[in-house]
Amino acid sequence: MADNTWSRRHIISLEDFTTNDYQTILQTATSFREVLSRRTKKVPALQGQVITNLFFEPSTRTRSSFELAAKRLSADILNFSPSNSSLKKGETILDTAKTYLAMGTNLMVIRHQQAGVPTIIAQEMDRINSGVGILNAGDGQHAHPSQALLDLFTICSSLDKTNPNISLLKGKKVVIVGDILHSRVARSNIWSLTTCGADVHLVAPPTLLPKHFLEAFSQPPKTGKTDESMGNLYLHWQLAPALENADFVMALRLQHERMSEHLLPSLREYHQQFGITRERLNACKPTVKIMHPGPTNRGVELTSDLMDDPHLSLVPMQVTSGVATRMALLYLIGGMQ
Amino acid sequence: MNSWIRQVRILDPLTQRDQIGDVLIRDGTIQAIDHALDVSGADIREFDGQGCVLAPGLVDLYSQTGEPGHESRETLAQLLTAAAQGGFTRVVFLPNTIPAVDTPAQVVQRLTANQPNQPQFLPWGAITQGTEGKRLTDLIELGSTGIVGFCDGQPLANSLMVQRLLDYTQSLTLPVAMWPCDLNQTGICRDGADAIRLGLSSLPVTSETAPLTALLEEIATSLRPVHLMRISTARSVDLIRSAKARGLPVTASVTWLHLLFSTADLDKYDPSLRLAPPLGTPEDQTALIDGLEDGTLDAIAVDHCVHTYEEKAVPFGIAPPGAAGLQLALPLLWQTFVTPKRWSPLQLWTYLSLRPAQCLNIEPASVQLNTAANLVLFDPHDAWTVTTDSLGCDVINTPYADQTIWGKTKHMWVSAINN
Repeated sequence: MADNTWSRRHIISLEDFTTNDYQTILQTATSFREVLSRRTKKVPALQGQVITNLFFEPSTRTRSSFELAAKRLSADILNFSPSNSSLKKGETILDTAKTYLAMGTNLMVIRHQQAGVPTIIAQEMDRINSGVGILNAGDGQHAHPSQALLDLFTICSSLDKTNPNISLLKGKKVVIVGDILHSRVARSNIWSLTTCGADVHLVAPPTLLPKHFLEAFSQPPKTGKTDESMGNLYLHWQLAPALENADFVMALRLQHERMSEHLLPSLREYHQQFGITRERLNACKPTVKIMHPGPTNRGVELTSDLMDDPHLSLVPMQVTSGVATRMALLYLIGGMQ
Repeated sequence: MNSWIRQVRILDPLTQRDQIGDVLIRDGTIQAIDHALDVSGADIREFDGQGCVLAPGLVDLYSQTGEPGHESRETLAQLLTAAAQGGFTRVVFLPNTIPAVDTPAQVVQRLTANQPNQPQFLPWGAITQGTEGKRLTDLIELGSTGIVGFCDGQPLANSLMVQRLLDYTQSLTLPVAMWPCDLNQTGICRDGADAIRLGLSSLPVTSETAPLTALLEEIATSLRPVHLMRISTARSVDLIRSAKARGLPVTASVTWLHLLFSTADLDKYDPSLRLAPPLGTPEDQTALIDGLEDGTLDAIAVDHCVHTYEEKAVPFGIAPPGAAGLQLALPLLWQTFVTPKRWSPLQLWTYLSLRPAQCLNIEPASVQLNTAANLVLFDPHDAWTVTTDSLGCDVINTPYADQTIWGKTKHMWVSAINN
């Protein structure tokens, strides 16, 4: 399971991830998925290590997924949440991180509503030579690498369950529809999917999909790869052309406050123009699968019958893949300590 | 004490002098300038000027002081040290202190704090009471008390008030400085690919260009001269270029950090680079530099603004805008533009000394015989590391923290204020 090619202490963004990195993660996640299918679902890989969930932004699903992944690896878990923290007493984010460092934390899983917080903490941890690894569990609108990696694992597993690998993605059409502007999930997925060779089609009204997206993500990431092996990125302000012959359709959560920000007139119009329905999926490939990072507004981004259709929906598989993928990430950066 | 500066590179943007020579200063007046002087006497302090520059003291168009009101950020004594370190003999500070500089009593109090032979602090007088943008101050009375001009340091949201201000102050020769900025538009990073990539909320270019356009229309109507401060976008440079071509009485400035950084430098989410207005895109940065070089923009301002460690030790998106600069602007602009020979030393001094004085309608300092010595001796080759100790302050509010930079002020001669 150990991979000698892995050299990252932190996972903050996927901007500079290489195809080797993705392949290593898929292989490691596949091994842990096998562990999770056993009667005894626990391995001693990180026994004695302390993993701290520093969730400055409230989260239930992602935090639970990381907590279970850490427990399956036999690590000791500390959970921090802002509601019962000393942040309200004037403590800075670096003070909080250093407090958990002093308790012997080896890995920090960090979520914050502001972009850049995991970056700042990782810089400080490196500056003081702490040896602590940082895993970004979502920072503002910037990045959510573990979600994109579990999405990658889900997509590849749906194409070949026994040997999920990135070569399966070559030429596949993945549509991401919804509030792309505010989505850290979309940003991380664009890096991972295009680097692994898929064509990514973004769909939203122009207010939620500024044209700068193409410029921001169309340059090859710092992977040393040539252009030819990368997938392409496309922007659509209408749903129908994007869905044609799609292999995967990923819908994103729409926050209700977008209406008060004048970004959308109404949920009704959004569903009418951009909601995924069974009828609209007819334009996709017959084998199309739908995904959603959750939590879903049923009847807005996706109709309920699609969510619950086991032939179409990969949503339950995304959640299951999440634990194996996060075990892989904790294991890989845990091995760098 | 009299001074004899030997074999120094003498720069004077006013007379375009750039030569190696000796300068003798007696009783605060430049008494002799020549290729070499032979000076004797016990009361002469000799300075070896080799490798150094002797030039007019720098003038900062607008900076912020923490005192009074926010002494935990920076005291006047610390600001004085910063100005002296950075070669600034005159610093014009914004009136948004607590209390604000909005009455004659406040102006007098600030002016009397100045000491001889130290950097002189001059106040902008507030346009509105408490710089709150609601009611005009007693502008004519305030204008007679020794302020440099009128400026709130904040955008004026009320367009009728802008119109009235320009009309009412037409009889006054003091400058009016305005910041074109629409505070209703939110966002922490200038709109563009970097904002999208970094997940930082975008501030549209129109947050600057729309109020700038409206302001230029008001100026075209009243023909009241205005200084446009904190210009930060390429499109604004175009608008100002057109306005100047039409003959509108405007001058404009850009801050030093907007010349040295862009949104492409935000990858580390350094709260020191959280500025208002935010850094421009790389295209904006290029246009600002070009605009300065072709005269569309007149001067470089420092916009020094220090916050406490606690205020800045927060994520980029919620950090208060501003960074320290008085100590750093000259060495870093020299290092970036003069060392690689993009600008001549005279050019840099024009942007930091001559033009700011001209924008303020104050007499520019000059290296000429029988004029008051308002001079700086600067060694562009002296390396130092940016730390709280070397800056002489409690906090290190700059993207250059812990970096080694080149260029240090060795000495300054400051004449009394004469504006």
